[in-house]
Amino acid sequence: MPLAQNERVDEDASLAATTRTDRVNASDGEVLIRETADLVSEEGHRFGSREVCVSRTKVSVRDEHGVELLSVPIADIKTARTEPLVGGARLELTTTDGIVPVAEFTASVAARFSEMARGIEQLAKGEPLNIKWKQERTRCAQCDRLLPEKDGRCPACVKRAAVLRRILSYMGPYRKEALIVGVTTLLGTMASLAMPWFTKLIADEVLNADRPLTSAQGMPLLLLYVGGMFLSLALSSGLQMIKGWYVAFLSGNIAKDLRAHVYSSLERLQLTFFDKKQVGAITSRVTQDTDRIWGFLVEGVPYLVTATLMLLGTAVFGFFLNWKLTLAALAPVPVVGVAAVFFWKPMSILFHKVGQKWGRFHTHLNESVTGIRMVKAFAQEEGEFAKFHKRNSELADSGVAADRRWYLFSGGMMFFTGWGTLIAWIYGGHLVMVGEMTFGSLLAAQQLLWQVYGPLQWFAQVNQWFSRAMAGAERIFEVIDQQPEGYDRPEAVHLPEMRGDVTFENVRFGYDKSNPVLKDINLDVKAGEMIGLVGKSGAGKSTTVSLLCRFYEADAGVLKVDGVDIKDLSLQALRRHIGIVPQEPFLFNGTVAENIAYGKPGATAEEIMTAARAACAHDFITAKPDGYDTQVGEKGSKLSGGERQRVAIARAILHNPKILILDEATSSVDVDTEKKIQLATARLVAGRTTFAIAHRLSTLRNASRLVVLEKGQIVEVGTHAELMEKEGEFFKLVQTQQQTSQAIAVVG
Amino acid sequence: MELQPIAPASIRLFYEPQGTLRLTVADDRSYPVVKLYQAWPLSMPGRYLSFQDAKGDEITLIESAAELTAEAREVAEEELKRRYFTARVEAVVDIRTEFGVSYWRVRTDKGERDFVVQSLSESCIWLGEHHILIVDVDGNRFEIADRMALDTASRERLDCVL
Repeated sequence: MPLAQNERVDEDASLAATTRTDRVNASDGEVLIRETADLVSEEGHRFGSREVCVSRTKVSVRDEHGVELLSVPIADIKTARTEPLVGGARLELTTTDGIVPVAEFTASVAARFSEMARGIEQLAKGEPLNIKWKQERTRCAQCDRLLPEKDGRCPACVKRAAVLRRILSYMGPYRKEALIVGVTTLLGTMASLAMPWFTKLIADEVLNADRPLTSAQGMPLLLLYVGGMFLSLALSSGLQMIKGWYVAFLSGNIAKDLRAHVYSSLERLQLTFFDKKQVGAITSRVTQDTDRIWGFLVEGVPYLVTATLMLLGTAVFGFFLNWKLTLAALAPVPVVGVAAVFFWKPMSILFHKVGQKWGRFHTHLNESVTGIRMVKAFAQEEGEFAKFHKRNSELADSGVAADRRWYLFSGGMMFFTGWGTLIAWIYGGHLVMVGEMTFGSLLAAQQLLWQVYGPLQWFAQVNQWFSRAMAGAERIFEVIDQQPEGYDRPEAVHLPEMRGDVTFENVRFGYDKSNPVLKDINLDVKAGEMIGLVGKSGAGKSTTVSLLCRFYEADAGVLKVDGVDIKDLSLQALRRHIGIVPQEPFLFNGTVAENIAYGKPGATAEEIMTAARAACAHDFITAKPDGYDTQVGEKGSKLSGGERQRVAIARAILHNPKILILDEATSSVDVDTEKKIQLATARLVAGRTTFAIAHRLSTLRNASRLVVLEKGQIVEVGTHAELMEKEGEFFKLVQTQQQTSQAIAVVG
Repeated sequence: MELQPIAPASIRLFYEPQGTLRLTVADDRSYPVVKLYQAWPLSMPGRYLSFQDAKGDEITLIESAAELTAEAREVAEEELKRRYFTARVEAVVDIRTEFGVSYWRVRTDKGERDFVVQSLSESCIWLGEHHILIVDVDGNRFEIADRMALDTASRERLDCVL
């Protein structure tokens, strides 16, 4: 099976690289943290290098020549932070004199300076230094090029041979079929070489003008030879069919294996991979990239093998007929080869452009069809057509350019390959005339040449196939080799029964490592409590619950469930015990029943209906013409918003998690539906530890405790009554909401 | 939260204390912590500058720095240079593509730089027919304001990959 990725950084090693200063003997001048900033603020902000060193006593900055430019005593420092800029960030220290900018840097090193800032603050406060300081490789050890991913692998150094072997390994399970294809190709080549031989025989022995035969003499011979031709024809056609039979089998199955491997790897990837890329880019790996590898394996490789065999066979046969002629006639081969390669490079660039134009065309098409409501609502049909027209024209133009080049190329190739025939006639004719060669041999030679030159034109295309397959393979193997989520760690704790106690201890997290969204969250939740998370948008509510599901891992601090660090829990077990009702419920294209039973496949009809009843969904479902067998459409489009919410609640109820995450929808529905949703929600949260990102007053009132988040920190905790009395942050939030939202009837 | 009209000429802009931008409207009011943003940094750089207070509310919007007094303009331009760092590509020295990853070496108005782009078709933002923003693997941005204005060699190298 595929080779493992080289040099994956061990998670444990990174923990060991935490810098500490519990060494009593750390001298004052010893540099504890050192990093190079890649921007220079003098001379108009340009690329450069500034080394920032942090010791126990001071923070200093040196330029490229080691000259110290700035030195700030740690004792004067109050805070240190990285101020984000556009296209970079700046390390700033707040001292008694104000803000001192220390260094500027691009996004490439921003995360490290963020850690440095934390370290500086720790030292300034007299705390022991405790930061994550992993030395990552930014350049390839072998070729010194920048690595696309730090500590990752260098695409330039990957041996094509290794990738090729890996691609070919997919043929492994089908060795028998591949062998058959190989053998039939060989036999087929031989069979097709037989035809010219019979031509020679007929011309030299039967139809020879020098030794004419009568019909009675010649016919049997002719029949014999034509019979031979017929056999060879039948054989080569038959072999072709057999080969095709197995090639089809191989191609279908190899593609299937590749796609399956990519998809299953894809599913197990961490969410960060999906966050960084668009859906289209990801799905294209499963479809287009596997297609390219498939194309190479199924068309490229057989072609290469066939063409090579033909060339060899022809050369051998040709030498047998007349070595001089063969040499002469094959002389243009290298010329043709070189010309083909020369023509091919610009050709492939043009094809690449066509592919890109298709991509842009498709994107626009998809978008405008999906958003057709908006197009109509804003009366932008003309505008959209103008955009469409532009992309359509670009596509057509690039297609025209590519096709024209292609015909020029084909014509050119035809011209050059024709030379072989011309040479053969001239030189061959001469040889026949001087008696060195028979006419029959000449005819045979002509036939042979034709069989060689034909496929030769496409020789350059093999390189193209190869490159594209390599590129496709790289992208696929990138997915397959990516570190998956820690699903099957053997030492993981399986919690057969979960109580539902959740603890956040000093949790810190940022999607962008240099900009934490959650800073120091401490919360202790007992099983069965309902916690309402409140705060302005961007305060960190959704992020908090994402960490609980372990969609992302905290940068610092510990998240515990039932006293166990969630990193030590088996991921499957953790997620099985956690249920989510998101803001916009995502329903799969299937029946209502299938969607409700998604978390518990194999649920009985009774179980599904019980859950639906509890979610106040049973009534509207049964009233539909197809009842529980109703198709919900893509993304649940055939149901209304309120119906989708209740189906999602039913889904969560059936899943029966111990910990529930409820992200309340903000869109308002009619009074009756609202009442039903509130009732359904109340039933859902009963007896479960619930984290509700709450918007409804009723939810807030029913919560055991409300946690008010602001800019990533918990600012207030208490019951609804307590916080209203306090007239603090929560009170202000409620005031604002009441002023701006419409009145919704509330079940008190 | 309405925009109070402030005459640009009456704006005093300075750093006080060190490193903190402060805005004072002559004889009226002073904002101790101000942030300066460009509303259209890519399509109209230098135009429509927005001053925001510490809470993120806009204090005023001026059409361009030219409207300010000479000293305020100097400070504004310095602040803009601090906040906005996008390198503008002047020449493409080399592009090498290997397995879908492209390695670039460019000369920009901020100096020479090497960078890596993971998949060009996804990391290229088209702001216009010839105006491109290339985003490298770390998220750094490199702007090609007009690719037709580049020298021939650079243009050819660019055409090969775009």
